[in-house]
Amino acid sequence: MHLRRRQRFMAAGVAAAATALSLAACSSSSTTSAPSGGSTSSPAAGSSSSAAALSGTLNGSGSTFQTVYQQTAISSFKSVQPNMTVNYGSGGSGKGRTDLASGVVNFAGSDSPIPSAETANFKGKTVLYFPVFLGPITVSYNLSGVTGLKLDATTLAEIFSGKITTWNNAAIAALNSGVKLPSTPITLAVRSDSSGTTQNFSLYLETAAKADWALGSSSTIKWPSTARAGNGNPGVAQIIKSTPGAIGYVDYSDAKASGLTYASIKNSSGAFVAPSTTAASAAGNGITIAPDLTFHAVDSSEPTAYPITYQSWVLVYEMQPNANDAAMLKAYIGYLIGSGQSLLTSLGYAPLPSSLQQKAQAQLSMITS
Amino acid sequence: MAVVSAETGRPDLREAKGWRRTKNRVMTALMVASFVIVLIPLGFVLFTVIAKGASVISWQFLTGEPIPPIVLPADVGGMWPAVLGTIEITALATLMAVPLGILGAVYLNEYGGRNWLAALIGFMSDVMTGVPSIVMGLFIFSIWVLHFGFSGLAGAFALACLMLPIVIRSSYEMLRLVPNSLREGSYALGATKSRVTATVVLPAAIGGIVSGALLAVARAAGETAPLLFTILTVTTANPNVFSGANTSLPSQIFANANQPYPGAQDRGWGAALTLIVICFILMIVARFVTARFARYQH
Amino acid sequence: MSTVTQVDPAAPAGSTHPLEQRRPLGDRVFAIVALGSGLLVLVILVLIAVTTSQQAAPWFSSEGWKIFTNNWNPAANQFGALAFIYGTAVTAIIAIVIAVPLSVGIALLLTEVVPYRWSRPIVYVVDLLAVVPSVVWGLWGILVFAPWVQHIYASIASAVTGVPVLGFFFGTPTSGASFFTAGLILAVMISPIVTSLSREVIATVPAIDKEGAYALGATRWEMITGAVWPHSQGGVVGAVLLGLGRAMGETIAAALVIGSSATITSRLFAPGYNMPAVIANQFGEASGTFRAALMGLGVLLFVFTIIINVLARGIVERNARKKRGG
Repeated sequence: MHLRRRQRFMAAGVAAAATALSLAACSSSSTTSAPSGGSTSSPAAGSSSSAAALSGTLNGSGSTFQTVYQQTAISSFKSVQPNMTVNYGSGGSGKGRTDLASGVVNFAGSDSPIPSAETANFKGKTVLYFPVFLGPITVSYNLSGVTGLKLDATTLAEIFSGKITTWNNAAIAALNSGVKLPSTPITLAVRSDSSGTTQNFSLYLETAAKADWALGSSSTIKWPSTARAGNGNPGVAQIIKSTPGAIGYVDYSDAKASGLTYASIKNSSGAFVAPSTTAASAAGNGITIAPDLTFHAVDSSEPTAYPITYQSWVLVYEMQPNANDAAMLKAYIGYLIGSGQSLLTSLGYAPLPSSLQQKAQAQLSMITS
Repeated sequence: MAVVSAETGRPDLREAKGWRRTKNRVMTALMVASFVIVLIPLGFVLFTVIAKGASVISWQFLTGEPIPPIVLPADVGGMWPAVLGTIEITALATLMAVPLGILGAVYLNEYGGRNWLAALIGFMSDVMTGVPSIVMGLFIFSIWVLHFGFSGLAGAFALACLMLPIVIRSSYEMLRLVPNSLREGSYALGATKSRVTATVVLPAAIGGIVSGALLAVARAAGETAPLLFTILTVTTANPNVFSGANTSLPSQIFANANQPYPGAQDRGWGAALTLIVICFILMIVARFVTARFARYQH
Repeated sequence: MSTVTQVDPAAPAGSTHPLEQRRPLGDRVFAIVALGSGLLVLVILVLIAVTTSQQAAPWFSSEGWKIFTNNWNPAANQFGALAFIYGTAVTAIIAIVIAVPLSVGIALLLTEVVPYRWSRPIVYVVDLLAVVPSVVWGLWGILVFAPWVQHIYASIASAVTGVPVLGFFFGTPTSGASFFTAGLILAVMISPIVTSLSREVIATVPAIDKEGAYALGATRWEMITGAVWPHSQGGVVGAVLLGLGRAMGETIAAALVIGSSATITSRLFAPGYNMPAVIANQFGEASGTFRAALMGLGVLLFVFTIIINVLARGIVERNARKKRGG
């Protein structure tokens, strides 16, 4: 049917991609050279501005952490490649990974590497990880008259496990000498929806306060029953703003936009660091980066780093079904990790440290068809 | 107890006295109170939507595109992609669900009678009303989107699945109430069953059927969950409802109204106001048109 | 006495020739199309049931009967769903208890009390209720209603603490986003369909029955209970079942205002959770057994809807039989 064929070429991410991908996997291994002439234009590799005009549609879905950046980048990318349309639907990192595995999107946004339980879904196809930015998770609170609160991992673990229940607890007071802490009970503000923010926040607590954190690390945590849950970062921000004595974890960009007060957290070098985009970028330096560019930015060893920093990747298949898809992906992802990085700070995200950026740009050429 | 008339010594049946009258008055007052009670949340919601969304409504908002990133203020871009998406997806869903639902109800009432198949279909259709809207979306995702990609059509399928049981049940109840004398009179005149159904029974029930269908359409236009898995999200208008990702007003409301950025909030609530106004106008027009054609007015 | 032969009313009248009694093509086609539509509904439903059950199978097989425990901890791979089942039941009951009297009251108001001229604006108001999108109800609920009603809950709770029955249902802890708030908002959302359908049903009561009741000296309310109700009770039950279906399956509004706390408590003002809400909230990040568990909740909801529909039909049938004198 005419319509069906047009769908296959226009709306990328159709199941045909899955079949074509498995067929392509049997063909000879890809080279890193640009695709030979013909009707497809060859995009420039690396970070230089793309030469030829590309046309087509790219669909992506996944991490809501990336939503603001993706939306802004898509909008600015229009001036770079006017005939390309990029669509990004949020829906969660898990959904993004599933959509990529099912072949309905060209790229996925994910705050965590593919967990071992899901690797089977990708049927052995290689997935490339492109880190796009880092971002701090603030510990925001509502305590009138108290600014500049200092906390460390152990205290945080005890607060969020429900072991510390009032603000004037000895552990908090010990970190904040000279600050008058009221006896207000602590109200926890957490996420009602599963999220990468929860995943990485709990990962930080598990990493940095192993002995005191028993609730595990996952996108959904069984918080103490007294915790109040809000939908999305704005929902948690709302609970904090409207409840005196509340404390919760909120993405930096949303915390800033909501006007919240956040705490400085003690990093692994012993310094109390306030959340900021510079401190988050610094976190990208003191961590081990795997060859496939996966890593965990929490609890970085860099002295100026903010310890509760996390990251997000764009996931794509190494082997694309056709040359146009590969070219479009290289152009768009190249933009995200290249010129698009300048958009990040004003949005409240931290650009990649240059070493990481170079590694990501070098990996671009691995996308082939 | 009936009151005994002073003159004749017989029960006075003219007007109820005492407890019966009080009960009648109390019940009438309760009925009026029900209406007033229901007005309260409606008034609050409309007030909130208008207060938060009216300031952003403009020709530019309704017809401009693309939908800007949430961080930008409300005077940039517009909501046209979402307006178009809602109109085309809901229209397609209506075209699929309403005729199918009415015909299904016709089968259940006119042809099926008391046989086991009709009973099963009617029962299962009721069960279908309880399926969460998100499960409908997931269902369409697994059987359609995985093979044909995101599209307005997939979203329309999901919404049609949501609308179908409502249309069937309400049409069935309406058809059931058409008096048999109408049917028998038509048969006596020599009409075939299909002719009786199409020209006598359906028009007799049309007011109620359209009511039920309108409510189903209004619900479909306002649903977010089924579309989460079927249409992705776009920022530019997609006039082709059969292929390519799309967006809708409820999706945009959900994505924007809760954000801390004032531009996004304005856009979200403006979209809410737009959707309410569009649906309400649709319902008024449809009721007006049906009232002109209905043969039996209540 | 000649035997009365049953004539198929669909056969063309006036002809006894066997060949001429075949129905015309258009008539048969219409019948087939109607049957086909009915079958299509069944097919769609069976497909939904089969695909969701398939995807939910890993959960049933790994948890077995433990799915009915109250232990939902994805981080530890435990998926006991009792709290959500409880929450769905509680919110649906609250919604029905509030919505049905209101909706039937409005329907009766429209048909029996107000003059026809005034009924039009009231119908438009009910329509307005229907056109408010579910996401707007949810957002209004959490942004405007919950913060405001929180204080009312708190005062009620402190007033009834210690009181035997009231304290059990309305005591502390309280929260703006709670079972009761979700039930209230669901009630408002299902009123339009219950009202509209009830009104249509009640409006078709034969005038003869109503006038007969009045002629016997009945007050309006007695006429309603005596003449209107017996005639329309089946239809009103159908309307209520439609509303109940939506109350159990409404996703976005419930997800936003129910409080997202997987606890089983008798306190209606406490935060809770129900099945559609947890599916909506946690599906985006779920995979593997977690995902199967969420699909499984959809299957459970299916099963409960079936059970409730069977029960409701049974009760209506029994009532109807009693009235017929069976």
